[in-house]
Amino acid sequence: MRNEIIKIVFETIQELNEDLENENLKNPTEETKLYGINGNLKSIDLVTLVSDIETKISEKFNKEIILADEKAMSQERSPFLSVKSLADYIEKLLNEG
Amino acid sequence: MPSWLLDRIESYGELPCIFYQDKSYSYKELTEEIKNNISFLEKNQIKKEETVAILGDYAFKTIALFFALFENKNIIVPITSKAQIEIEERINEAYVETIIKYDKEQLICKKLTTNKPKHEFLVSLNQKNHSGLILFSSGSTGKPKAMLQDLDILTEVFQDRTKRTSNMLVFLMFDHIGGLNTLFNALSMGASITIPENRKADYICALIEKHKVNLLPASPTFLNLLLISEAHNKYDLSSLKVITYGTEVMPESLLKRLKNTLPRVKLIQTFGTSETGITKVTSQSSENTFIKIDDPNTEYKIVEGELWLKSKTRMIGYLNHEMDNVTDDGWYKTGDLVETAENGFIKIIGRVKEVINVGGEKVLPAEVESILLQIPQISDCMVYGERNPITGQIVVADLVLKDGVESGKIKKEVRNFCKEKMDTYKIPVKINVVDKTNFSERFKKIRRKT
Repeated sequence: MRNEIIKIVFETIQELNEDLENENLKNPTEETKLYGINGNLKSIDLVTLVSDIETKISEKFNKEIILADEKAMSQERSPFLSVKSLADYIEKLLNEG
Repeated sequence: MPSWLLDRIESYGELPCIFYQDKSYSYKELTEEIKNNISFLEKNQIKKEETVAILGDYAFKTIALFFALFENKNIIVPITSKAQIEIEERINEAYVETIIKYDKEQLICKKLTTNKPKHEFLVSLNQKNHSGLILFSSGSTGKPKAMLQDLDILTEVFQDRTKRTSNMLVFLMFDHIGGLNTLFNALSMGASITIPENRKADYICALIEKHKVNLLPASPTFLNLLLISEAHNKYDLSSLKVITYGTEVMPESLLKRLKNTLPRVKLIQTFGTSETGITKVTSQSSENTFIKIDDPNTEYKIVEGELWLKSKTRMIGYLNHEMDNVTDDGWYKTGDLVETAENGFIKIIGRVKEVINVGGEKVLPAEVESILLQIPQISDCMVYGERNPITGQIVVADLVLKDGVESGKIKKEVRNFCKEKMDTYKIPVKINVVDKTNFSERFKKIRRKT
């Protein structure tokens, strides 16, 4: 599951980056920073990325998940810091109930 | 003493007045029917000053009843809803004392018993010996507001109309200020009206051909559906001279398509609110949406981008709601956002309540919709805001795709198209492919708020 999540996140970042043309997002790794200190995304780009990932994850795993909600915002560490934190959060949501 | 309006109607004699269900009625027939209905009111002991609901949409008989009630100085509550709960709610909120139902070509009268004391606004109107009108706001946000108009004053502005031959289609319903405006306008100038039995594009075009309709008042949402249906290619619409549009913002791209499709038709904007009545405006041209308010009965000003009106035909008040959108000195805050241009022209660009706030940046749904409608794969769309914890709100678009368009790729195509034409924050983040956008019975988009 983890690999599939990572694959979707990478793929979506690269799609988004076709418009953004940010060097750091061309070949993303788990360490790639998304939003926050030294982040590569503006808030509106993050919103777009997250919405696209939500759609793809829901299709792939046949389960509706919401990444951008109060719950995500109230996590001790923001899930949107890096690819890794985002993938962790997605995995956590998919494994819940 | 008959009112000027009844005298006027009578004076047009044998001229055609109403086309309804394959029948045509002259002004003389309408006058007789109004007089019959005045006797009907007497027979049913409907006192003047009573608040009377008419249940039913436009029909020859309901129009005659409307004017009979006007003559009798009643307060009229037109209700076109078919939903029982909604009807009951409106009857209650409007302090209705008698219901007259139009059913199977018959008028059926029912007196209600109520312990509710009469609202002070109704009493004051009765004391002036004026007839009244109660309309309900569309209520896309919250409970519909019941507003009371002085019908004597509302109709008075039509007194200076001079005789003109024209056939107008009444598109908006009996319970809508725009629909009543068409009715008063037509009857005061001796024009004829065509009453449709439904609002399907194909049927409306067939009616235009059949009755040689000259004027079609409609909403942008309907006009877009008409173009998509291509019904205009099926019927002879050469009688059509004017299309008036209103009730919601006209997307510029739609206006262009209309102009290209129907080059000989003048496209004119109308403007009004149930609270202030119809305001006389002049469209700058058929090719843009700039208007100038030139109404001797209406003053206007723009406060923080919002249009405020003060008009002679403004409502007496809401019967079930605070007057929080009316200032102490009588200005009505329309909730419409406007942009000003040179020479006193203004342009309505959206509703205050529908502005989407994306991380502090303001987005107007109509502006985004106008661009989306230029995408060849899209036949209709609706843009609205959705809550989002990151940016406060995000822009969401519901899209209706043309036949055969694959929905999988549309998001990408929309983004590519939009990024050349608008700021990033205006580009829809979420895209839903739907069968039909969410519009009301009055063909007005209901932009969801979440």
